[in-house]
Amino acid sequence: MGVKTESLLFLFFRRMRVPLVVLISAYAIATVGFTLMPGVDDQGNPWRMSLFEAFYVVSYTGSTIGFGEVPYDFTPAQRMWTMVSIYLTVIAWLFSIGSIISLMQDPVFGNALRRARQSRGVRAMNRPFYLVCGYGDTGRILVRALSARGHPVVVVEKQREKIETLEVEDLGATVTSFGMDAQTPDNLVEAGLRNRWCVGVIAVTGSDKINLKIAISAKLLNHSVVVHARADSTSATANMRSFDTDYVVNPVEEYIRRMELAITRPDVFRLYNWISSGPGARLVPPREVPAGNWIVCGFSQVGRAVAELLEQQGMTVTVIDPNPEGPGRPAGTVAGRGTQAKTLTEAGVESAVGIVAATSDDADNLSILITARDLNPELFLATLENGYSTHALFRAAEPDFVGQPSQVIAGYMLCRVSSSLVEPFLSEILERDNGFARDLLAKLLRHQSDSSPEFTAGRISARRAPAIARAIEAGVEVPISTLLRDPGQRDRKLPLEAVLLRRDDGDILCPGDDTALELGDRILLAGCTGTGRGVRAALENDRILEYLLTGEERRSGWVWGQRHPDSAADA
Amino acid sequence: MNMGKVVFGFFVLLALTLNFGFFLGDIDNPDHHNVYELFAALVVGLIATVLKFGERSHMGAVLLASSLVVDLQLIAAAIVWAVAVHMTDHGLTPMVMASIVSLSGGALLANLLSVVLLTLETAGLSR
Repeated sequence: MGVKTESLLFLFFRRMRVPLVVLISAYAIATVGFTLMPGVDDQGNPWRMSLFEAFYVVSYTGSTIGFGEVPYDFTPAQRMWTMVSIYLTVIAWLFSIGSIISLMQDPVFGNALRRARQSRGVRAMNRPFYLVCGYGDTGRILVRALSARGHPVVVVEKQREKIETLEVEDLGATVTSFGMDAQTPDNLVEAGLRNRWCVGVIAVTGSDKINLKIAISAKLLNHSVVVHARADSTSATANMRSFDTDYVVNPVEEYIRRMELAITRPDVFRLYNWISSGPGARLVPPREVPAGNWIVCGFSQVGRAVAELLEQQGMTVTVIDPNPEGPGRPAGTVAGRGTQAKTLTEAGVESAVGIVAATSDDADNLSILITARDLNPELFLATLENGYSTHALFRAAEPDFVGQPSQVIAGYMLCRVSSSLVEPFLSEILERDNGFARDLLAKLLRHQSDSSPEFTAGRISARRAPAIARAIEAGVEVPISTLLRDPGQRDRKLPLEAVLLRRDDGDILCPGDDTALELGDRILLAGCTGTGRGVRAALENDRILEYLLTGEERRSGWVWGQRHPDSAADA
Repeated sequence: MNMGKVVFGFFVLLALTLNFGFFLGDIDNPDHHNVYELFAALVVGLIATVLKFGERSHMGAVLLASSLVVDLQLIAAAIVWAVAVHMTDHGLTPMVMASIVSLSGGALLANLLSVVLLTLETAGLSR
């Protein structure tokens, strides 16, 4: 259960019991002592302090302020007691303050304090936020990208060291990090799973079992949340899909899917890879995957799948594996790791057209790429990049096809997180032929050259797009092109393309710009980062909409009412 | 036997007895009410409050609340005393004394409640 601030207060007071009792006792003893000490007033008459005066003297000596001897000069007896009371109260203060400081420095107390503060922050959240479980390479990419888009993120990671840097990092939105185990449903609830602003749960821990638990908890405890989960094994993937986890990404499956696209439909591959490779993904230059003899180094999960894929595509495959007699290895497997020229030559690198470095060691993969390129500069180089730490080296090695699990997973999730229309759009794309993808790529490339397109989705309804809804109700035809014009200058086109239109009777992929919008339509736009917001003016403002439609600017806004007084009266 | 419980019970009871001792006597007669007894009742009351800090139980919460009432009443009485004796020329007139003692009478009630609650809790434990 969550730590409440109230119980922290109690914890504080319980720890402070002894120091406080010591402090009160010291003050009481010192005060009473002063009233008992014989003194003389300014006329030399015997005089004693009252409790009030004694408490006054103790108050200023105890706090080491010291006003001198008031109201009359002290007698030696009073001075003696002053010394006693100074040492008594100062020591009591030191003890109390020391206890407070040690309590504040106590890591248990500090953690409880921090956790209570964070829970409070999550409860006070008033914007849609994402819950990211696991802060490895994938988690880091996701958190950076989501916060850069302005979404608050809550991170749950068991290993506290990993999230320590998050508190000092400068990210675009509030990022709250909890150092706790995401397996426990209570912890997820504390991190905001049941909060009504929690729009997505992303399970990207390193373990299938934990991701599975997170996906189940999220699905059961909050029906409206969208769950993205990573699954490495086929069984976990099937398991998660069985209970309707919204998006399950299996890095091996995704790697093979992309490789297959690269072989069969290169432009679909380029488009798909560009869209779903995360922020800053670049469009890969077109390069045909050659047919012929291939070498696969490392018969891992990926290596096995790649070998199967290549054989399905009608290529001959030679496998290099340190354990050629192992289960499932095809006949003719060459023993070795592939890092040495001798092994590669034995596998026929001179006559091969391509090589896939799929061992589980990144240094080996790099070494295979470089050695193979030396032996045969024409080779198509495909590789698997296991960890993210050697990313710079892989970039420098310039292979033709790279699969980096963290990036693949993060990219897959990031493009689908922006709207539920992205998934139908991408699956439509995957069904289409190469020519269609080439045309769409050309369209998108008119606006942007390097960074991947950003998606914006909208619904044509009276609530979300009041201006357009009024216009449609008034019988005015509003084509999609209206949305794509610049509200400041209608001849100019915004750098956006309508890529999917969802209606009750089905989806339309890449609807023409003159398609008329209907009430209840949902539309997906793709284009340059940040331009999606410009469309909002046309959705909400009658005058801007009329300007975009007709090119005329009017002063008053009730345009549709003037043309159709009846419908205006109804509204 | 729990030493913590002994100390706790001791201070709660002592706060009551000291308070009662101060309260005893004619309400407006300064000779019947010693200021040292008021001081002692206040100090013991404060210590009893601190000892009740951090009790999570419902009983602990009510005990703490009653203790805070005691402190508040006794501090008010002490302030009235200090103002009357040191800041005005009248000294301890019967009217001032009556208000000091009646404030301590309120504290006495709250102290009594503390002891009753403590007794109830103890009785509940032994059952």
